[in-house]
Amino acid sequence: MQKQEVRSPQSANLAAFWTFLIVVAVLLIVAILNAPTKGGPQVMESLSTYLNEVRKSALPFILVIGIGAVIIGILAGRVVRREWVDRKRRGDLLIGFLFLLPYLFVTLTFVLGVLLFALYISFTQYDIFTSPKWVGLQNYALAFRGLTDPVRKDFIQGLYNVFWYALIVVPVQTALAIALAVLLNAPMRFKQLFRTIFYAPSVTSSVVITLIFIWFYLKTGYLNFGIAKVLGVFGIPWENINWLGDPRGLFQLIAEPMGLRIPSEQWYLRGPSIAWMAIMFQNIFTTAPTFMIMFLAALQDVNPALYEAASIDGASGWQQFSKITLPLLRPIILLVTVLGTIGSLQVFDQVYLATQGGPLGTSQTPVYLIFSEALGKLGPIHMGYAAAMAFILAAIIFIITYFQRRLLERGTQSY
Amino acid sequence: MATTVEKLSIPAGTRKIRPASYTISLIIRYLLLISIGVVLFLPFILATLGSFKTDTEIIAYPPTFLPARWLVENWVNVWNTDLGQGGTFPRWLFNTAFLSVTIAILEVIFCSMAAYAFARMKFPGRDTIFNIMLATMMIPSAVAFIPAYVIMTKLHLINSNWSLILQFMVSQSGIFILTQFFRSIPKDLEEAAFIDGAGHAQIYRQVILPLARPALLTVLILQFQGMWNKFLEPLLYLNSPDKYVLNVALSIFQQQYKAQWNLTLVGAMVNAIPVLIIFFVFSRYFIQGVAYTGVKG
Repeated sequence: MQKQEVRSPQSANLAAFWTFLIVVAVLLIVAILNAPTKGGPQVMESLSTYLNEVRKSALPFILVIGIGAVIIGILAGRVVRREWVDRKRRGDLLIGFLFLLPYLFVTLTFVLGVLLFALYISFTQYDIFTSPKWVGLQNYALAFRGLTDPVRKDFIQGLYNVFWYALIVVPVQTALAIALAVLLNAPMRFKQLFRTIFYAPSVTSSVVITLIFIWFYLKTGYLNFGIAKVLGVFGIPWENINWLGDPRGLFQLIAEPMGLRIPSEQWYLRGPSIAWMAIMFQNIFTTAPTFMIMFLAALQDVNPALYEAASIDGASGWQQFSKITLPLLRPIILLVTVLGTIGSLQVFDQVYLATQGGPLGTSQTPVYLIFSEALGKLGPIHMGYAAAMAFILAAIIFIITYFQRRLLERGTQSY
Repeated sequence: MATTVEKLSIPAGTRKIRPASYTISLIIRYLLLISIGVVLFLPFILATLGSFKTDTEIIAYPPTFLPARWLVENWVNVWNTDLGQGGTFPRWLFNTAFLSVTIAILEVIFCSMAAYAFARMKFPGRDTIFNIMLATMMIPSAVAFIPAYVIMTKLHLINSNWSLILQFMVSQSGIFILTQFFRSIPKDLEEAAFIDGAGHAQIYRQVILPLARPALLTVLILQFQGMWNKFLEPLLYLNSPDKYVLNVALSIFQQQYKAQWNLTLVGAMVNAIPVLIIFFVFSRYFIQGVAYTGVKG
């Protein structure tokens, strides 16, 4: 390493050239790794058989990415040439990217590369073992065919279910989380202990909690027992329910005593089923404490002088809560709502373990369907269809969270 | 941070003479807190008690609270489970622990490096990459798992721990927490070190990392817990019995044992207990981590 500053433009040009080469090479490797080719043992046998396959079936994909890679490479090269002449800035650039290297590797391969691949195969028919066949928008159309064709209702019903899920779970768990946080924020003894115990259900694996709840929900389980006990006090008889196997919908339960029957073809009028609401309850149980912690942290940053001033002015406890606490919590409410919605629209673990989409598809969810189609659990493997459903779901999540943000942020301005 | 704020939040009212209504509301509040605590902890208590019951007692109606006879054998039987092909219970426990520890440690190293670059260095491209990271944090994971699965088949990494390690050795949430934390460290120490001729690598190791120990521990624990509790990814990538993690093994248990809920509950509790112990010991860091992602986000 020389002491004096390197001003030679030649070495800067050389560095820029190498940067260009390395960037293009890395991006091409990521592209080749993500190339939409057929898989299977013959193709995957060695690097050369795979590269052969890439050349045969994925050349357009590689070309498009290649053009992008060249552009990024040129930009990177120019930056390097500019920074190279100054010794300190050159060092910062090199060390900075060295520090970012693991992250860049993961994000390029498993976030961005994967995204391009998924986007591509969502327009194809793809089962890993044969080359992807371009089918245009057919997969996307297939996902929505359930709107008219009841045989194909899976995805639409999945969306219907997760909408109900988000609509019920998100407000309830947010409200509960705020209530718990306010309760815990008051001055008291054993605050740490209570906080720890409240948070415990959120720490354990959703598999564990789901299994315990499946057991609670059995026909002979604690839930039926508890309800029977409580109702027994008032002399009301209770017939045990198999909670996770009961397809009766909320609206159906309301309408039936009034003599209205909702036929099974009109499943979308039945509302969330008992099985689905049982899963919602369990999810609220585990997620509310997580969000409670977020609210608690925010509450601790609130200046106590605000409450003092309010109580001197004669504000009641409820007024203090609604006029001081809630407005100050708004940013966290927004965050928790968005996070809760993203999570709700992607329910998987509970469905896989507890109901497998049943009964009568009333706990079917898009992610469970994507998983099943991608792995061929419902017949042949439909990777392209699964990818298309994933993108539709992603778009829906984006749109919903965007409007939530608009709505809640506009609310903030009025204060 | 938390302790000082807690002191501040005690309102002036507590120092005044307390009227009777205050005592009553205090009693109500504690009763409420205790009953909520009992409800939230009840699943663990009932599951633990259930894991000692007999096959018939566990699904009998009406359900009992305490086991009629304490069957310690249940725990021994589960521990001795053998699904063949090397699928034994100690093996699954080891797999889960190994993956969780490895990934948590790698996360701390790689996330702190990236966070240092984002928070403490200046170079072209830094902000662009940071913004791309923030944007990609919004991509739902449902989009990624199919193509990631395809890549893993191409790399022959199905049924290899590398499939999970490669994907999860660095995470956006970890980088995000640490970047926020590093930014809050005052720059004085660093500047002194710079004047003494220290480079970035040295400052990262000798100044920032020691100062950021609580945040590093937070990330370590959160990622450990996150990996321990992961289900979908291990289910996809690790599907031979000797490679199962506990969560996946548990889902197999549930199908295998059907009505033998006592055994499934043993498995569930063995899965839950390590995380609960770590949580009770380090609860401060868990809570800090959740609070940090939330409030400062």
